[in-house]
Amino acid sequence: MFDNSRIELAARWILGITFIYASFHKIIAPADFAKILYGYDLFPGVLINLIAIVLPFVELFSGLALILGIYPRSAALIVNGMLLGFITALSINLVRGHEFACGCFSSDQTGHTSSVELLLVRDIIYFVMGLQVFLYGRRRRACIFRSE
Amino acid sequence: MGYKNTARDIVILLGSAVIAAFTVNYFSPAGISLVGQWDESKGVITANAKDDAVVVDLEIDDVRIAKQIYDSGKAVFVDARSREDYEDGHIKGAVSLPVGQFDESINTFRGQYSTYSSIVTYCSGRTCEDSHRLAHLLLDEGYTNVTVMIDGYPGWESEGYPIE
Repeated sequence: MFDNSRIELAARWILGITFIYASFHKIIAPADFAKILYGYDLFPGVLINLIAIVLPFVELFSGLALILGIYPRSAALIVNGMLLGFITALSINLVRGHEFACGCFSSDQTGHTSSVELLLVRDIIYFVMGLQVFLYGRRRRACIFRSE
Repeated sequence: MGYKNTARDIVILLGSAVIAAFTVNYFSPAGISLVGQWDESKGVITANAKDDAVVVDLEIDDVRIAKQIYDSGKAVFVDARSREDYEDGHIKGAVSLPVGQFDESINTFRGQYSTYSSIVTYCSGRTCEDSHRLAHLLLDEGYTNVTVMIDGYPGWESEGYPIE
């Protein structure tokens, strides 16, 4: 798996498109996203707005970097770092039994436990894809800056 | 593997993302301030966005003050929540004016309550901005005496005040 160039490209595109798409609603309506962050009951109040401002752009830029093939290894590392953060936040709230809105792709206010578990599974799958991109050792397809 | 390169590239990616983030936020009409108001004990929580509805001056932050206004009989309480929420339970004597259906409902409302009326809006508490938005809409309509009871229906109900 770590040597197949087509799988590597597919992983980069899937992750890239996902993260670019996820960033849109947060960039358009940062106040709504900030409120969702507040709902997680995890972050100190002084940091909420800063996270709401910066996170969506990290998603957008790393997503673009993955699709275009700009520093793919670094972009994968950043993406996996974010995924670890998401997995942690979701797990903590799953254990707490906390009802909340994920805020992943929209400002929808629905927080059911079964969907949290699905989100975790999905994030773990993305994480594995990110590992694929990070650990890939050969020449990548459709890649602008390899910088290995 | 080129760890130095990877590290440098991460700095470039993150750095440009951070710069873009603050720049867009500064110029965007939906931009938010660097620090929001997330302390419920201080009032309705808000990200302090440029297009924000929350205005602290309009707020009644103590339900008992609102109760005094209620007892004087001089103000009309207006419920900004959806009709379903209103029907599940509302402040006794309150009028339903869902903020999402303002345009359809305002003419009927104006017919019954002149712009000289004293109005107290409420919704579902300090995590809800709808009562603020309704207040702004009413002010734009020409109402001059509008306040917002920020503890909303839950705050009123928990004090055992009249509901129906």
